[in-house]
Amino acid sequence: MAGIEFSEETREHAKRIGSADIVVGVAGPVAPDELRARAETVVGLLGPSYASLRLILAWPSEEAGAPVGSLTGDQPTALTFFPFSWPGQAAGEFWEGVSAQQRAVLALAAQLNARACIVLGPDLAALHAHPLQLFAYAVLERQCGLVMPVYNAGRYDGLLNSGILAPLSRALYGRRLRYPLAFDFAASGAMCARLAGLESHQNNHGGNSLLWPATVAATQSAQTTVGQIRLDVHHQTASSGLDLSRVLTQIVGSLFQEMEACAAHWQRVRGSQPVPVWGAAPGEPPDAQPVDTRPMVDSFLLGSRNLDEVWRLVLPPNTLLDLRRLSRVAPEEFRMPNELWAGIVYDFALAYRLRTLSRAHLLGALTPLYLGWVASYIREVSALSHADAEQRLEQLSRVWEEKKPYLLSRWRWPDRFNP
Amino acid sequence: MWDHVKLSLQSSMGRAMESLARLLPGILAFIVALLLFLFIGWILAWIVRRILAALGFDERMGRSAPTMAEWSPRLTPSQLVGRVVFWCFFTAGVMVGVSAFEAGSSENVVSGWILGYVPHIVGAAVLLLIGNMLARYVSRSVLIAGVNLNLSYARLLSMGVRWMILVLTAAMVLDHLQLGGDIVELGFGILFGGIVLALALAVGLGSRDLVSRSLEREASRVAEEQQPERVHHF
Repeated sequence: MAGIEFSEETREHAKRIGSADIVVGVAGPVAPDELRARAETVVGLLGPSYASLRLILAWPSEEAGAPVGSLTGDQPTALTFFPFSWPGQAAGEFWEGVSAQQRAVLALAAQLNARACIVLGPDLAALHAHPLQLFAYAVLERQCGLVMPVYNAGRYDGLLNSGILAPLSRALYGRRLRYPLAFDFAASGAMCARLAGLESHQNNHGGNSLLWPATVAATQSAQTTVGQIRLDVHHQTASSGLDLSRVLTQIVGSLFQEMEACAAHWQRVRGSQPVPVWGAAPGEPPDAQPVDTRPMVDSFLLGSRNLDEVWRLVLPPNTLLDLRRLSRVAPEEFRMPNELWAGIVYDFALAYRLRTLSRAHLLGALTPLYLGWVASYIREVSALSHADAEQRLEQLSRVWEEKKPYLLSRWRWPDRFNP
Repeated sequence: MWDHVKLSLQSSMGRAMESLARLLPGILAFIVALLLFLFIGWILAWIVRRILAALGFDERMGRSAPTMAEWSPRLTPSQLVGRVVFWCFFTAGVMVGVSAFEAGSSENVVSGWILGYVPHIVGAAVLLLIGNMLARYVSRSVLIAGVNLNLSYARLLSMGVRWMILVLTAAMVLDHLQLGGDIVELGFGILFGGIVLALALAVGLGSRDLVSRSLEREASRVAEEQQPERVHHF
């Protein structure tokens, strides 16, 4: 069933445990002592409704250890610590490593016949009572197959998600998920089995195989209920240590690959449906410091001067004309319209599918355009309130949906137009 | 006298026409053999493409060897194999045609020389193809990487890399065709050696200030980097 083969020790321990109600898995290496201390505190705060539930707290470890039970204070909640290991545990680069760990956690939950599995990021930012309660409530009480988070992010946070991942996923699969790719999410028992068993399917398409739980929920079962919970949690990956181009290639490339694999499904989807959100709205994040967009505009201008020969292979003439006009405006008037940005990403997705040029080159050529959008977006929302900035993103997502017929016609009849 | 001149001209014309008449069957045989092999090659290439498509060859190659698709993205692996089959038959047709020419025209020297030289031509064609593909791929990689690293001279760097690979390829092709002999080797050695020496002098002598400025910038950037990032892409 599952694509993950655990070590013999882990399998034996899992057999001995038998089953669990909730598996809370950390998708990445953690310091066991810190994890235990925090977990015991958190479980103690969960409340009496969790007293009868069997909780397993699992994390990947190079050496599988025997599960250790723990009782916390006055709450007799059965909490078992379970370090697990599997032979193919070598971490991939950035999200590849995160996805592999997430799959392992889901596979373990499926093996333990868990009713719910909560996957947390390795920085343990979401390891608090309230997020766990919300996840468990959404899966166990509301019968959601998949629960994704809505992070309380600032207007300059998660820009790759705001600019590409969220609007593209929404336009394709028809569900208004704020974060289709997240460090923290929860899945029901049936969904765990489906997600964990997908590895071999995704690897068949070659290249990056990230885990896209929202895509699986939208395409593999029309009956899967998806929900969202508000999390006042901040996962901030330092961008300075990462090559933006390589990460863009990994994440956006994987999304384009999913698009190709699920083409039969998303071509039938029209519009989008709201996804229920639970949890109280947290306070507004602190005001973001002003950002100098000049370096990003310069990157865009450098791209437009040097990558014209590459962009010409991918983008239609009217888009190239708009980009050329954009490269001539004064920096203070630099604005990339939503329609232009949506069209650019759709054209790149098509070029990815048609292999107009090498995929690595294609996604590398997208980076200056993405930075141009980021600069334009920052300039637009810098003077807006947090709510207005969110509204701006909502407008962007609607434009992507409205432009979907363009994607459909070019996808179905690629020979009718060839730049 | 004019009769003698007329007789000589007539006899030389007669000999020329006779030589042409001797060659014509050979040329005809060459054309027929080539056309036949072209037709067989076209049919077989089509059959090979259909068989590979039925076996899911493209999908398997995409999984196990994505490099092939990256180097030549416009053609699927099965199309590439089909083309290789077609051109193999074309080459075979040329060789058979030359043999047929020899049989038809009793000219042994030409066929011996051509048959001995065809492998060099094939090898040179392959080298040229690979060299061009490599030049295009590497120059584009350098261009895109340079732009993403915010190097203002990315295009210059890319052109330099492309021309270096093309010059290297041209030298290898000429060497393989045994044209030019030592002149090509010497010329290439002088050219490449000159470029490397010029670069070494430019970097060593001309960039002292640039290196010290770069080091100063790195040192000051360490202090700047301690400020928290304001924009998060992830």
